[in-house]
Amino acid sequence: MTSTNTSTLREDLTRVFHWRRVKVMLATCFILHLLVLVGWLASYAVLVARVLFIGFAVLLAFGLFERWPARLPGWISRWALQVVAVAAAVPISAALAYAITTIGEPQHWWQTTGRLSGFGMMTVLGLLVSPWIAVASLLRQIKDEAHKQALKFELDRSQYERNALDARFRLLQAQVAPHFLFNTLANIRELVSTGSPRAAPVLESLIAYLRASVPRLNEPSSTLGQELELVQAYLEVMQMRMPDRLEFSVEADDYARAAICPPMTLLTLVENAMRHGIDPAEEGGSIEVRALVRDGRIRASVSDTGMGFVPGNGALPGLGTGLANLRERLQLAFGGDANLTLKENQPHGVRAEMDFPVRTGAV
Amino acid sequence: MSTKATALIADDEPLLRESLTRLLAQTWPELQVVAQARNGRAAVEIFEAQRPVICFLDVHMPGLSGIEAARFIGRRAHVVFVTAYDQYAVQAFDQGALDYLVKPVELARLADTVARLKERLRAKPEIADRDALLDQLAARVYKNAAPALPPGLRWLRVSVGQTLRLVSADEVDFLRSEDKYTLVAWHDQAGQLADGLVRTPLKELINQLDGEQFVQVHRSVVVNLRAIKLVLRGQNETANIHLKYRTDVLPVSRTFLHQFKMM
Repeated sequence: MTSTNTSTLREDLTRVFHWRRVKVMLATCFILHLLVLVGWLASYAVLVARVLFIGFAVLLAFGLFERWPARLPGWISRWALQVVAVAAAVPISAALAYAITTIGEPQHWWQTTGRLSGFGMMTVLGLLVSPWIAVASLLRQIKDEAHKQALKFELDRSQYERNALDARFRLLQAQVAPHFLFNTLANIRELVSTGSPRAAPVLESLIAYLRASVPRLNEPSSTLGQELELVQAYLEVMQMRMPDRLEFSVEADDYARAAICPPMTLLTLVENAMRHGIDPAEEGGSIEVRALVRDGRIRASVSDTGMGFVPGNGALPGLGTGLANLRERLQLAFGGDANLTLKENQPHGVRAEMDFPVRTGAV
Repeated sequence: MSTKATALIADDEPLLRESLTRLLAQTWPELQVVAQARNGRAAVEIFEAQRPVICFLDVHMPGLSGIEAARFIGRRAHVVFVTAYDQYAVQAFDQGALDYLVKPVELARLADTVARLKERLRAKPEIADRDALLDQLAARVYKNAAPALPPGLRWLRVSVGQTLRLVSADEVDFLRSEDKYTLVAWHDQAGQLADGLVRTPLKELINQLDGEQFVQVHRSVVVNLRAIKLVLRGQNETANIHLKYRTDVLPVSRTFLHQFKMM
């Protein structure tokens, strides 16, 4: 099927004289030599030697033309060449076998009736049998190849499914961060203990955030509107926790809200902005989330005025994996038709931009 | 004779500071919470000014973390770490036999901590050296969480009049030698300018700073490369540095000019 120029002699030999092929050849030689044995006058060893010589020669011919020449003209197919080569190998090798085993004899082998008839017998039997075996072998190879292809295809498919599953699993793991949950609950408990009227709305934001994030993992897509509600709930919770350090705004046009958006894409960007931008900054900062439609594409952005890229440190490690996962999810949802870029926000902070085609309809 | 119990509470989330203050009022009414700090830097500064006997430090705070703050405080106060659930941190605290509370703080658990603190204050306010433990702790807690820290000194202890300020190396504009001391000129996040003295000669300080970020430009001046707006070449192999946040112009002497040849 495929030919490689880099295969070594050793590899070629093991392929040509593969044990499975040799077995078939030996079995055939055994049966045929029984047929010739009837009325054989010379020594048994000579018979065996000649038959085996022919057998190996045929095997060599079959194996040789399997790869050589590397390129074939269009009018001849590889399998036909191999079958013809096998057929041609029979009389040639039979003649050679007789010539070699009769070296030093006073008469040429073809001048002896017994030898000539033996040669004829072997050639006829060989020609009757060997091309069919070659064809059978080729058919079997094709079947094996098809089977291998099917296995590979199956493997690729399961790999793809596993990647999709992994991406969702990581999402689940990332979402149920105990650190976030316990810190938030500690805040809410304080509001409840002191009878603050803020307790109920904040608790509702947390509930909205949890409800929105957990069951949607089972759905491949949701709308951008849902995603923005999730982002809003998350930011409200964070603002309760750090009222002096976080300001935020979420804006989107109505057309954008109806578009399909893979779950937790914008949220990942907002959480990144929170974790790497606002949280490490003593004075905090603001987060702006925007989504609009331009030229049939959703353009969504998350900009913060936090720490920005740490100078001299290149990228932040946590940011790397979070973004890699997000890229993977976008890839799964839109094929190659989605972009995600990160750049520095002026005067400081990070601006993340995402764009993908507008799709609406059944979620 | 027992020391009067005073405490400092540091957490970047205001509701949690309130919460701990309230819970402490219930479990230890005699304890006087002298101040609340909204980050590690404020915690250290307030500690220096008021010297409370006990510091409750949130591990995860912006800028200077609770662990770093504890290192500055050293053996001068009892430190109780406060952390939201974090497997690594809790393991590290347990192994290091450090006091800690897990958020949301439970009353029963707080009562245990209070009892232990009272016992320590009563016995003898001798505090074990924690530096090695804190190093280990920082390594474990930040192993997965934070970006690798740049080498060198990250915080300078700067005296401004009678108060001590902690200045992040990133905020420093330049350092100038003043005899046995070093003058530090810096800007805060809001762009406010300030200066103060560090009780270390510049010659020693240079070696502690990150060489990638701080370069000597004059016999008595070291500048933060990130604070430079531009370098103007003058005549006779000299140059002047203009800064981003201040109007000061720093001269570059001939010996150190080669550093800016590539810029």
